[in-house]
Amino acid sequence: MNKEELDQLIDKSFRTEPGFKLPADFAQKVAFTVVRREQWKTDLREYLYLMGVLLALFALVSGFFYFVDKDFVLKSFAFLSSNLVQVISIVFILNFIFFTDKVLLRLLFSRWSKT
Amino acid sequence: MDDSELISQILNGNMNAFTFLVNRYQKLVVHITGRLIQRQDELEDVCQEVFMKVYQNLGKYRNECRLSTWIATIAYNTSINYLRKFKKCDEVNPDESTVFRNLTEYKSNDFEKADLHRYIRDQIELLPVQYRTVLTLFHLEEFSYQEIEQITGMPEGTIKSYLFRAKAILKEKLKFVVDENSLRKVKEITHE
Repeated sequence: MNKEELDQLIDKSFRTEPGFKLPADFAQKVAFTVVRREQWKTDLREYLYLMGVLLALFALVSGFFYFVDKDFVLKSFAFLSSNLVQVISIVFILNFIFFTDKVLLRLLFSRWSKT
Repeated sequence: MDDSELISQILNGNMNAFTFLVNRYQKLVVHITGRLIQRQDELEDVCQEVFMKVYQNLGKYRNECRLSTWIATIAYNTSINYLRKFKKCDEVNPDESTVFRNLTEYKSNDFEKADLHRYIRDQIELLPVQYRTVLTLFHLEEFSYQEIEQITGMPEGTIKSYLFRAKAILKEKLKFVVDENSLRKVKEITHE
C-alpha cells in the first residue's frame, strides 16, 4: 500500500461518525426534564415568597399590637415561650403541610407522570 | 429558523423551540461526548446534562461565536468533568507511553478477521482523549483551528500537533497491520 492510499483511508476513517447513538425521543425527554426542573424551582421560589410574606405579616401585626396593647403582646410571647415545644411542633407540622402542598406533591406527581 | 431566532423563542419560554434546538445539535453533542466518555450507557445522561446547561445559560450567550461552537464548548467541558469525576486521571492527562503500548499489543492474525474500516475506527477510539477530541472537532465537525482553540482551550500549535501525531500513530499502527493480503481489502474500501 502506498502512502497516498493510506492517507486517504485514514482521512475517511476520521470523517466516519462514531457509533454512539441517542434514543429517538431524546429531545422530548430533555425538554420534559427542563420543564420539570424549572417547575420545581418556581414552586420552591413561590413557597419561600409565601413564607416570607407570612413571617412579615406576623411581625407587622405583632409590632402594631405592641403599640396598641403592649401587655397583650408580651403575655402572648410569654405564653408561646412557656409552651415552646408544642409551638415548635405545631409550626413545624403546619410548615410541612404547606411545603408538601406547594412543592413536594407537585414534584412527585411530575416524576410519577414521567414513568 | 436561524439560531438567533431560535434563541429568542426559547428565552420567551417556547419549549418547542428548545426541542428543535436539541434535535438540531444533538448529533454534534453526541459526537463530542461519545468520543470523550466512550460509554453508551452513560451517554444519554451526559448529553442531557449538556443540554440542561445550554438551556440554563442560553441567556448569557452573546453572538461572539457560532452557537455550535458555544454548545460544543459546553459539551467538551461537561465530558471532561465527567471523565475527571468518574474515570482514571490518566484518561484526561494520558501518558505518552500508553499511546504506543497498543502498537505492540497488536497481532496480525486478528486483522485478517476484522473489518479494516472498523479496525481503524477502533484504533481511533484507543487514542488519548485529547487526540480524539481534536480529531472529532476538526475532521468530523469541521471546526476551524480557532474554534477548536475556543472550545478546548488548547493553543493552535498544540491542536495541529495533536492532529499530526494522531495521524502518525494510526499510520504506525497500519504499518503493522497492512500486508499483501489486506492490501486488496484496503483498495476496495478506498475506492467505494
